[in-house]
Amino acid sequence: MAKKAKSRTIAVRLVSMALTGYYKTLIRPRTHRPLSMLKYDPVVRKKVLFLEQKRGGR
Amino acid sequence: MNSRQYIKLAESLPPRLTKFFARYPPQALLSQSALPSSSTPSTSSTKHPVTGRWHDPVFSLRRQAELVKLARQHGVEELLPYTVKGTEERLRRRAENGLRVKGTGVGQRVKGKESERTLKGRLEKRRQAMLEMPQMIQTWKERGHGRGWKKWPK
Repeated sequence: MAKKAKSRTIAVRLVSMALTGYYKTLIRPRTHRPLSMLKYDPVVRKKVLFLEQKRGGR
Repeated sequence: MNSRQYIKLAESLPPRLTKFFARYPPQALLSQSALPSSSTPSTSSTKHPVTGRWHDPVFSLRRQAELVKLARQHGVEELLPYTVKGTEERLRRRAENGLRVKGTGVGQRVKGKESERTLKGRLEKRRQAMLEMPQMIQTWKERGHGRGWKKWPK
C-alpha cells in the first residue's frame, strides 16, 4: 500500500527560554527553518525569547 | 511537707479528688504514714490471672482524663498514679507523633509534594535564565533572528 503523503505544514512548539515551562504552538511549513521569536511570557510577565523545540518521535 | 499541710491541701481539693486519694493514697504519703497500702487502680483492661477473663479498668479513659484535668488545676497531678492521660505522657506522645500529621514530630520533617520540594530550585533556575535573557536576545538578534542559531531546546 502506498504511504500516506506527509502534510505540507507541521505544528511546532516554541518554548520560553525563561525556563518557566510556558510554550506556544505554531504552524509552519515543513521545509521552513525553525521558528524563533520574542513573545510575552505571562509567568515572568516579560517579553522573552521563544525557540522552537527540537522535534523527535516519541 | 508535714501531715497538717496535707490535711489543709486535702480540704482545698474538690471532693472527687479527695475521694480518689482516699481510695488510692499516693506513694509519697504512704512511705511516711501507716495507712494500709492499696494497689494502684488498673488504667487499662486487664486479664484476670486465674479466671482468664478480661476486666474493664477501674477508671475509664474518660474518667482518667477528667481526674488528671482536675488534679492539674489544683496542682497535685504528681500525686496521681501513672496514666496515659497524664501531662507528661501526653507531651511525650506529642513529641513522638507530632500533630498526627506525618513529619511534624521532633526531629522529623514534612516530605511535601514533589512540586513543593523542587520549587526553590526551579525558581532559582528561572531567575538565572532571566538574568541571562538580555544577552541571549542580543546574540539572537546578531545571528539573524535565529538563522544562525545552533542550540535549540530539546
